[in-house]
Formats: sequence, C-alpha cells, structure tokens
Amino acid sequence: MSGDDRRAAATWIAGVVVGLLGLTVALAGVESPETSPIRDAYVIPVLGAALRFGLPGGILGASAAIVLQAPLVLPPIERAPAAAVTAVGGFIVVAVVGIPAGLLTTRARRRHARYETLLAVHRVLGTEACLETALRRLCACLEQRLHVAAVALVVRDGDDVTVGGGLAMVDRSPLHIVCETGRPLFVADTGGEGRPRRLFAAPLAGGGHAGALAVERFGDIDGDERETIVTLAVHVGLALENARLAARQRRFADELAEKVAAATCRLEEADRAKSTFVAVTSHELRTPLTALLGFSELLWLRRFPSDEVQRLAAIMHGEIARLVRIVNDILDLSRVERGVPLSLRRGALAVEPAVAGAIALFRAQAPARIVLDCARELPALDADGDAFDRIMKNLVSNALKYSAPDGVVCVSARVTGENTVQFTVEDSGRGIPAAALRRVFEPYYRAPDAAGATRGEGIGLAVVKSLVEAHGGEIAVASTPGIGTRVTFVLPAVS
Amino acid sequence: MTVVHDARAFRALDSSGAPPLLAGTPWRGIAILATGFVIAAGLVRFDLLPAAALAVAAIATVHGGLLATAVAWSRPSPSSRERLTPTLVLAGTLLVASAATAVHPLGAIAYVAPPVAMARLLDPRRAVIPSRGMLIAAAVFGSGVGAHLLLATSSTLGHRPHVPDLAAAAAALGYDVGANVLSAECFFRGALFDRLQRRWSFTAAASASTAVGVGRYLVDPLLPKTPDALIGAVFYLGLLGVFNCWMVWRSGSVVPGIVSSLLFFAAYRLFTAG
Repeated sequence: MSGDDRRAAATWIAGVVVGLLGLTVALAGVESPETSPIRDAYVIPVLGAALRFGLPGGILGASAAIVLQAPLVLPPIERAPAAAVTAVGGFIVVAVVGIPAGLLTTRARRRHARYETLLAVHRVLGTEACLETALRRLCACLEQRLHVAAVALVVRDGDDVTVGGGLAMVDRSPLHIVCETGRPLFVADTGGEGRPRRLFAAPLAGGGHAGALAVERFGDIDGDERETIVTLAVHVGLALENARLAARQRRFADELAEKVAAATCRLEEADRAKSTFVAVTSHELRTPLTALLGFSELLWLRRFPSDEVQRLAAIMHGEIARLVRIVNDILDLSRVERGVPLSLRRGALAVEPAVAGAIALFRAQAPARIVLDCARELPALDADGDAFDRIMKNLVSNALKYSAPDGVVCVSARVTGENTVQFTVEDSGRGIPAAALRRVFEPYYRAPDAAGATRGEGIGLAVVKSLVEAHGGEIAVASTPGIGTRVTFVLPAVS
Repeated sequence: MTVVHDARAFRALDSSGAPPLLAGTPWRGIAILATGFVIAAGLVRFDLLPAAALAVAAIATVHGGLLATAVAWSRPSPSSRERLTPTLVLAGTLLVASAATAVHPLGAIAYVAPPVAMARLLDPRRAVIPSRGMLIAAAVFGSGVGAHLLLATSSTLGHRPHVPDLAAAAAALGYDVGANVLSAECFFRGALFDRLQRRWSFTAAASASTAVGVGRYLVDPLLPKTPDALIGAVFYLGLLGVFNCWMVWRSGSVVPGIVSSLLFFAAYRLFTAG
C-alpha cells in the first residue's frame, strides 16, 4: 500500500470512528435512546466502512456500532421489555446493512482485481522476450498484483523445464507435486519460524504436464482467492502457449524470408548464367558455322586439287563434329533439367580402345602432351560407347584447355574392388579455387578466372556428371590452385 | 522490481508435515504439578494447611502448567529435561509469588519472577519485537474495551467503579502480570493459536483458541457465576481473544496482546473492586 493509500485509509477510519462516537454521544443525550431515530443514522458510517474496506470494514463497523449503542439501549429494555423488539431490530439493521455491503464490495473488488491481473499477465507475455525473461517479469507482476510474498512458476515443454521466481525445482516440492498430479495443492504452512507462510499451487492450462503456478503469503489464502489463482493459472498457461506459438510463427516467418531471399539470389544468378550461356553458345556455334560457310564457299566457287579438297573436307568435318558435340551437350542438359532420363545404349565396352579412340583426335594434335596409362586386363565396361566417348572428350578437352601449352595431361584407368573401373584425368594447369570447386558441376557455371581466359559454355562438366550418374557411376574433382586438377570417375564393369 | 529467489514452492516439503497438536507437551511436569495440587488439597482437607494454600497451589499448578506448555511448544523438539525443568521453575516462581501474596498483598512483587523466567526460557528464535503501531493499537483497544466494560456494567448493572487500595491493587496487578494475563497470552495466543494457525485458516484458529481461552475463564473459581458475569465474560474475553489473535497473526508477538489484556483487566479490577 502506498503512502497516499495509507493516508486515505486513515482518513476514512478517522471519519468512521468520529461518526460512530458522535452518534453515540448524541444518543446518550436523548431521553429514550432505544427508540431514537439517531440509531438509524448508524448505518451511514457502517456503510462507509463497508464500502471503503469491504467485508472486514462492514463487520468491524457494524460490531462497533452495536457495541457502542448497547450500554445506552440495553438498560431501558431491561426496564421495559416491550421495547426489546425495536431495540434489537436496530442492531439487526446495522448488521444487515454493514455485512452484506462489505461482502458485495469485497467480491466486486476481487473481480476487478482479477480482470486487472489477467490484463497485466497478457501485457507481460505479449512483449517479445525470451521465456526466462517473460517468466521473471510475470512473477514480479503477480507478486505486486496478488500482494503475496513470492510467486513461483514452472513451464514445461516436453523435457524442457523453465522456472520463474526460483532457480530449480526439486522432487516432492509443491510445484513438482502439482506438475505430477495435475491437481491444485494447498499447504497451510511451508515451515520455518515466525508467521506461517501459506502456499497454493495450481496447474497451468493443459494440466500439470504444461507447468504450475504457486503463490506464497504470510496470511490466509481463502477459497475465493484460491479459485482466482486456479483461473489465473489457466490464463497464464494459455497466454504462454499463445506467446510460444507467436514466437514460433515469427521464427518461421524469418526462416521463410531467408529462404525466399536465398532462392531469389539463386534464381538471379541462374538467370545471369543462362544469359551468359546464350551469349557464349551463340558465339561457340557461330565460330564453326563461319568456318563451314567460308570453306563451303571456297569449294563451291573455286576448284582445288584433290588433296587440298580432302584437307578442307577434314577441317569441315572437324567443325561439324564440334557443332554436333555442342548441340548434343545442350540437348542432354535440357533433358536432365526437365527430369527426363538420358537414353543410353549400354553394352560391353573394351576400356583401352574406347579411351584411345576418344583421345585420338587430341593426341593427333599434341602427341607429347597426353599420357595414357591403362592397367592390364581391364574388364569391359557396361556403358554406352557414345556417352563414354563424350565423357572422355569433355574431360580431356578441359584438361588441355586449362593447362599451359607445354603441360601434360595424364589419363589413367584402374580396376577398383567393387567391379568397377576408375578413370582419372589429371592436368597440371592453374587449378580451381576452393569456392568454385563446389560448383563446377552446376550447369552454366564457369569459374570466375576461367570465364575470361578460355572458351566454353559452362555445360560440359554438368553433362559429364549426368552421363556418369546415368550409368550408376560417381564423379569427383580435386584441385590445388597452381598445381593442377584431377577428375576421377567410376563406371560399372560387366559383371 | 525485485524477484525473490526464495520461493518455497521449489523446495521439497517436509515429509513429516505439521507436528501433532499436543507434541512436546510436558506431561511429566504437569503430572507432578497435578499430584502436588492433589496433595495440597488433601492437606487442606485435613486442616494440615490453611485454606489459602489451596488457591496458592491452584495458581502454581494451572498457570505453571500453561506457561510450561507454552515454553515446551515454542521449541522444535524439546528433550525430557527441557520440558521438566521449565515446568518446575515456572511453577516454583508462581508458588512463591502466590504464597507471598497470600501472606501479604505487597508480596505480589514476587510475580515479577514468572515473566522474567519466561523471557529466559522461551526459544529466543521466536522472539519478535512488535512495532510501535501495534503496541499503540493494543493499548487503545484494551483500554477501549475496558472502558466499555465499565460503562456497560455501570449503566446496565448499576455497578460503580471503585479504585482499590494500594495493597489490593498491587496484588491484583501482580497476579495479572505474573500469572493471569501472562499465562493466557503465552499459552492461548502464543502457543495454541500459533499451532492452530499452521493447520487452519485464521478464522478457525482464532475461534478455536479463543473458545478454549474463554472456557478457561468460565471454569475459574475467581469469576462470579452470575448470568450477567458469565455473558459479560464470554463477550469481552471473546472480543479480547480474537483481537489478540489478530495481533499475534499480524506481528508474530504476544506482547501487544499482553498490553491490551493488562489494560482490560485493570478496568476489570476497578469493576470487581466495587
């Protein structure tokens, strides 16, 4: 109670006392106090006490009024018993006015306090704070509102237990008992010297498994208050559940926003990559087409010796093969992106001839730069010959492209212990940065330093990976910048 | 706002719970006192002791027993010796004081001994200093009820207050200070009400302890047995008992109750002196 409240209460008490004493003095001065109308005026200070202090005020006010009148009213009754009904009726009127008025005032105040407390609870739990902080605030709020010595709160969420108003809950403590039984518990005295400390604990909404609320007071916790605390515990439980759901919703919204931002970023990157791909591919397609156009015009307009015609035809064939490879790569990638499985014509494929055939063109151009190292008695592959040829050509082409002009590319094949053949294409080029290494198999992706240095569409390795996986194989890349890159892939052998 | 981290709701409850209502009662001491009283009554019956010796023995037995019980109940688990010694000490001091008063009214000065003995024997952990406001409230209430008693008896029964002579006043005051009020407040409020309030609500505990306290006065041979006196005793002692229980409830001390009771009994002595 604040200082102002104390002063106001003292003023009310003084007013009631003065009123009662004044009426008693006035009553003492009349000739027949037992029938005096002054007695009716006693209801005014009694009503005042009842309205200001509730039931205790009503009882004390009515009792004081009766006790003060009694010495003046009772002696005449003894002398004239006929006036007893009137005299006693005056006592009854004071009691009937004071006590019910006090009772109603107390109930109205308690209901008002209950609603105010519920409002305060929802305000406390409506703030964005972690559960521990919210419980601490809630305990402090309830201590102030309920005028109790301590408030203890336990909230359980599965195996997680959060406590407010204390440090930890032990077995057989009142809160533990309520959490286990799910029923309210009243302890008349929690022990210790001095005034008894009452305790009342009630389960939160959802039963004891959701938690419990306990209040402790150096004074009575009557039935009405216990009912209030049970209701309060239900509301606290619901408010906590709402706060928990709201927090979860906020967390989901944040996560969703992050995912949307990441997806948008990826889409923008993919869009940029596709634009780059279209530009690069157009350029890649135009180069052989320009050569074909030029050489075909020459053959159409001029006459050449037969060996020169053969040379030009070989060049044109090479450019056409390059065009076919690019178009095949694009078609395969398109299938993969659409989720259409690649069509393979698998059969027994001898390893060494297949590898030698695939790299023959490159060896013809630079015989000193390619080293082939195939183990003896390799089993035949269970693979599509065209697909294997494209895999090897893509990898060897890349290795040569990113190596120095005098760099060496090693192609090797080994049997592994799981009825598979492992192929390795290793170069001594500039290598791939670690950040780019993770993404080299992504379609349209080109390592930043590679994009400006060499030609390419950024789809070769993506197609290689698709083809290897379509065979049920695996592919991996390892690289050390400045040292070189090693691509290893495994294909199944004929069992 | 300060968050209190001493909520007992987190601590394990004492499995033994509240002790039995009569736990720690000094039964042996009470039995010794009762035996002494019976012997004294027998000696008086056979004229081996004067009649006044019976009142002396009764005061020592009844008030000594109540005070000894209050002392024993104030301790958590008193040993047999801790129960018997206070009983004998308190009964002895009361025996000396009442005997001295019987010899000469000014011998009532010896009634100072029982409160001093109580102050030394009570568990010091239970000592609570009441606030000045509680003491003032007790004084106002005790004198107010006493004044009402005098006013009511004079207007309804025609009694006129009389100031007793010094010797009688000293005897009455000594008896109230050292036996009557002291034993009533220490036992009925300080011990019985304290134990009951740890089991029941205030209303139930105050009603029960006040009823037992009023009952003690109704069987007191010193109280006149007229209907007016009995009704008055129930009313005033009931009012006083409930108020004193409330003060123990609020302050944890029996001192305000002793103050209000002493003032009320001072008025009562003015009434009985007439």
